[in-house]
Amino acid sequence: MDILGKSIIRKEALDKATGKAKYTADDLSVSMLHAKMNISPYAHARITHIDTSEAWKLSGVRAILAGEQFPLTGEEIRDRPPIAYDRVRYCGEVVAVIVADSPAIAKSASNLIKVTYEPLPVVNSPSEAYKINAPLVHENINSYHREKGVYPEANTNIANRTKIRKGNMELGWRKSEIVVEANFSFSPSDHAAMETRCAIAEIREDETVIITSSSQSPFMIKKLMHTYFDIDIGKVIVNTPLVGGAYGGKASVQLELIAYLASKAVNGRKVKVLNSREEDLITSPVHIGLDATIKLGCTKDGVLQAAEILYLFDGGAYSDKAVDISRAGAVDCTGPYRINNIWCDALCMYTNHPYAAPFRGFGHSEVTFAFERTMDILGNKMKMDPLLLRSTNAILSGDTTPTQVLVNKSNVGNVSECISRLKKIINWDEGKIEKVSDTKVRAKGICCTWKNSTIDPHAGSGVTLTFNPDGSMNLISGVVEIGTATKSVLAQMLADKMKMDIHKIYVQMEVNTLSTPEHWKTVSSRGTFMAGRALLSAADDVIYQLKKLAACILRCSNEDLEVGFGRVFLRDNPELYLNIKDICYGYKYPNGNAVGGQIIGKGHYIQRHITYFDQDTGRGNPGPEWTVAAQGVVVELDRSDYTYKIIRAITVVDIGKILNEKAALGQVMGGMSMGLSFAGRETFIFDQQGKIINPQLRTYRPLRFGEHPQYDVEFVQTPVIDGPYGARSVGEHGLIGMPAALANSLSLAAGVELNQLPLIPELIWKTKEGVTHDTI
Amino acid sequence: MIQFDFEYYKPASIYEAVQLFQTLDSQGKQPIYYSGGTEIISLARINLLYTKAVIDIKDIPECNILRIQDNQLVLGACLPLTIIEDANHFPLLTKTLREIADHTNRNKITIGGNICGQIYYREAVLPFLLSDSQVVIAGIQGLKYVPIQQVFHQQLQLQKGEFLVQIITNENDLQLPFVSIKKRQQWDTGYPLVTVVAITKSSDNSSNSSTKQIHVAFSGMSPFPYRSEQIEEDLNQQNASVQHRVNLAITHLPEPILNDVEGSSEYRKFVLKNTLQHALTTLEAE
Repeated sequence: MDILGKSIIRKEALDKATGKAKYTADDLSVSMLHAKMNISPYAHARITHIDTSEAWKLSGVRAILAGEQFPLTGEEIRDRPPIAYDRVRYCGEVVAVIVADSPAIAKSASNLIKVTYEPLPVVNSPSEAYKINAPLVHENINSYHREKGVYPEANTNIANRTKIRKGNMELGWRKSEIVVEANFSFSPSDHAAMETRCAIAEIREDETVIITSSSQSPFMIKKLMHTYFDIDIGKVIVNTPLVGGAYGGKASVQLELIAYLASKAVNGRKVKVLNSREEDLITSPVHIGLDATIKLGCTKDGVLQAAEILYLFDGGAYSDKAVDISRAGAVDCTGPYRINNIWCDALCMYTNHPYAAPFRGFGHSEVTFAFERTMDILGNKMKMDPLLLRSTNAILSGDTTPTQVLVNKSNVGNVSECISRLKKIINWDEGKIEKVSDTKVRAKGICCTWKNSTIDPHAGSGVTLTFNPDGSMNLISGVVEIGTATKSVLAQMLADKMKMDIHKIYVQMEVNTLSTPEHWKTVSSRGTFMAGRALLSAADDVIYQLKKLAACILRCSNEDLEVGFGRVFLRDNPELYLNIKDICYGYKYPNGNAVGGQIIGKGHYIQRHITYFDQDTGRGNPGPEWTVAAQGVVVELDRSDYTYKIIRAITVVDIGKILNEKAALGQVMGGMSMGLSFAGRETFIFDQQGKIINPQLRTYRPLRFGEHPQYDVEFVQTPVIDGPYGARSVGEHGLIGMPAALANSLSLAAGVELNQLPLIPELIWKTKEGVTHDTI
Repeated sequence: MIQFDFEYYKPASIYEAVQLFQTLDSQGKQPIYYSGGTEIISLARINLLYTKAVIDIKDIPECNILRIQDNQLVLGACLPLTIIEDANHFPLLTKTLREIADHTNRNKITIGGNICGQIYYREAVLPFLLSDSQVVIAGIQGLKYVPIQQVFHQQLQLQKGEFLVQIITNENDLQLPFVSIKKRQQWDTGYPLVTVVAITKSSDNSSNSSTKQIHVAFSGMSPFPYRSEQIEEDLNQQNASVQHRVNLAITHLPEPILNDVEGSSEYRKFVLKNTLQHALTTLEAE
C-alpha cells in the first residue's frame, strides 16, 4: 500500500473539471439582497459631501451606507474604516455601499451617488512616503489600536519598522574587500485570481451572524468580527466553499465586513457583495510593491561579510497584513547564505496606493529580487561565477539566520545540493551566454531562495475523523481548498496510516466554523505541515480506539494488534481479526449486547518554540523550517529591439518528502508561472495623482497560456524531522526566485543592470539607452 | 454586468434594420448596431457606452457572405474573425486578424465590428486600406459601394443609421507579397504598441510595370489606424538606404502619437523604426 508520493487525482477534480464545483458567488437564493460599492476615483482626498438623494429614488434600493463612522479595522493596526469616512486614501477605496433587490439596481444607484472630493497631496511611492516632510497618509498613527510587536512611528508614514541587527557591521565592512550597492523598485500589482472575491452575510434574530466567503481565513473572520464589532465569537459562523484561486489575496478580511454592515442595515437580510474584476484588482487588497537599497560586501574569495539593507514596502493606504509582510521580508532579508553581519531595516510604509494583502511568497519574491540581483552585481564586479558565489556562501548546519536561529540538518533544506542539481540541469558549464544570431543572445540567470513562515507563534490546526457504517472514513479539516490539493494529500496520509483504499476516504471540502476544527489560516504553505501533523495525530487516536475496543473483544492487549486493510488483526496471526466496519459504531455480540460506540478521532497541532522578534535586534524564531531552492531562467534577447522570449525556467527545490508528485509539480510550476508573470509584465500603472490607469484585464495582463517557457522541476528530499513524513512546504516556493532569475538573465543578455520590475522591453530600452522619458 | 436595460432586435433584412434604427432613434433610444457584441459588453459594463436598444444584424444574409465571385472577395461584416482566418482567401488579412485578441474572442469579434469599433486599434481594416477594396454601406437610401480609401479616415465615416454590410476586395490584391507585424508591450498578449501591415505592388501608372511600390498602414501609433501618402513616399524613395528612408518616414508620423499604459511615444517610435526596417528589408528581399 504505497500511496505516499503517488499522483493521486485530487478529490474535487471531477466537479471542477465539469463545472459542477460550487463557489461562494454561486449561491443565488431568491430572498437575497445585493450590495454594490461606490469607489473613489481619487488616491487621496477629503470627502466634503455625499449626495444620495438621486440614488434613493430608484425603486428597489434598500439601504445606502455612506458617510457613517464604523469601527476601525485592520489586522495589525486598526487604521481602516471599512467604508471610507471623511477621507479616501487610495484610488478604488469604498466610499459608499448600496443594498438593493438586484445587482443591477444597486449598481445603477451607485452611479447616481454624487460624492464631492477635495483632492489632497498624494504619496505615490514608499520612497516618497519616507521623505522628511512627506504628506502624512495617517496623522495620528499612535491613536490607533495595535497588536503586540507592531512599531509605528508617530508623525511619519512608517506603519512599522522591523530591525535586524546581527553581528558587527564595522567588522563586516572591514573584512569586505569588494563592496557593491544598488537600488531596486517595483510598484504594487495583483493576484488576479480567477474567482473574484465574494462575501455573503445574514444576521439571525438571535444575532447569530452567518457569513459565506471566498476566504483563506474563515476562522480569522470569526475572530475579527468579534474584535471589530464586539459580537460574541460563538455567534459568528463562517462558511467557506471551494475557493477559486487565492494566492494570499483572500487571506485579508474586507468584503466580509462590508457584507455584515450591509446586512445589518437591512435588518439582517442576506446580502451578497461580489467584486467586479475591476474592484477585485484595486478595491480589494493587492500585491505589495517595494523600494530597496542593498549594500553587500565580501572578501576577494567571495565570502560574504556584510549586508546592509533598507526595504521600503509599499503597504498602501492601510497597514492590515502589510506590517506582517514587511516583517517576513526582514526575517529572510538575505538569500540562504552564511552572513555574519547584517543590518536591515524593513519598513512598512503608508502610501496612497491600494493596501497590500499577502501574495504567494509573502514578501520573499520581493526581497529575493533585490537581494539576488545584488549578488549578481557583486559577482560581476569581482568576476566570480554567480553559481560559485552562491555555493561558496550557502548556509549550512551551525550557521545562523538573520534572526539568529541556529541552523541544523532539519530546519533548513540543502542549498548546496539544490545548486549543484541546478548547475547540471541548466547546462551551466556550457556557458552563461551565447550568440544565436546576428542580433540574438541566449543568457542564463540563476538565484537561490529560502522561505520560512512567519505566522502567529501559536497557530495550529485540528482534524476530526469519523467513520461510515461500511468502515469508510470522513476527513474533516479546517484547511480551505484553494486549489492546492492539500485536502487530497491529507487523505493520502490517512490512507497510508490506516492502510486503506483512498477511495474509501471522503473529504469534507467546505469549511463551517461551527463544526469544522480550526486551521489557523490556509496560508504560508503550512496546510500540509500543520494539518498533516493534526491528521497523523487524529489517525493515531482512531487507531488507539479501534485497538482498545478490539483488544477487549479479541481478549488480547492493544500492543498485540495492528490496524489496516479494513481490519484490526493480531500481529502474529492476521487470521484472527475484526472488521473495522463491525466495530467503528460499537461491537454487537450475537445476543444483542453492545460495547464501544462510534469512534471519532481527533488530532491537533500547534507550532512549538516560535517566538516574537526582539524589537531592537530582530532575534527570534519565525517558524518550523525553511524550504530552500535554486532557480534558473534561460532567455533569448534580441539586442536590436530588446524583445525577448523565456526559453526555460528551472526550479530545484528541497521539499523534504514528496507526498503527491503531480500536485507538488503543479504547485511549483504554477508558482513559477506566476513569478514570471509578475516579473515580466504585471504591474499597476499609477499616474502622478496616484490613480491606477490599468484596472482591467485588458490592460493588466497576467501570463497567458502559450506564453509559457519550458518548465523543469526537480525535487531534493531532505526531511524536516518535525514535518509529516518529513515534508516541507512547497506552495509558494516556485514563485520566489523567478523575478530575480529573470532579471539576472536579462541583465546579462542586455549588458545593463535591470533593477526594476516588470521587465518589459521598454524598461530594457530605457535602461540601455539611458532614456529618461516616463511612460506617463 | 450591464446594469441598464435595453431592447434587443434581430431584423432579418437590411431594409428592416435601417428602418428599425430610424424608428428607435426617433423614440430617443440611442440605438446601436450589434454584431459580435464583445466591445458593447466591454464598454457598457464600465459605463463607457449606453443605449436603450441594440439592433443585432447577424441574421441579415448579406452580412454573412464569404465568397469569391467575379474576381472579387466578398466578406460580410458579421463574419467572425476566426471564420475568415480559416477560409484564408486573403493571407495578409488572415495574418493580421490572428493577432487580434485571442481565439475565443475572435470567435465572437466580427470583421465589421472590429473595423467600426470604438476601441481604436481597428487592425482588421489595415489590409483593406492597402488593397483595392470597397465597402458596402447600408442606409435609408439603400446600399452604396464606396472605395474604402474614400470613407475610412481614422474610422469608417458612417452617417447616422448606416452600417457596414460587406467589404469587397479585388482578387488580384489577395496574394501580394506582404508583411504584417504586431509589436506589443510584452510577448503575445495585448493591444499593439504598433502594428505594421505592408505590401509591395506594381505601381499602376508604369506601363512596363517594373517599379514596385511599398504600401503600408499602421495601427497603435496614434488613436486611429492610418495609411499616409507622405510616409509611403518617404519609404519608396529611390536609391536611399532602408535606414535613411525609415528615419525620414518617422519624421512624418501623424499626431498625436500615443503615450499610454502600453508604452511611451518615444518608445513607440523606436519600436516602429525597428519594425519598419524589418518590414522593408523583408519585402525588398523578395
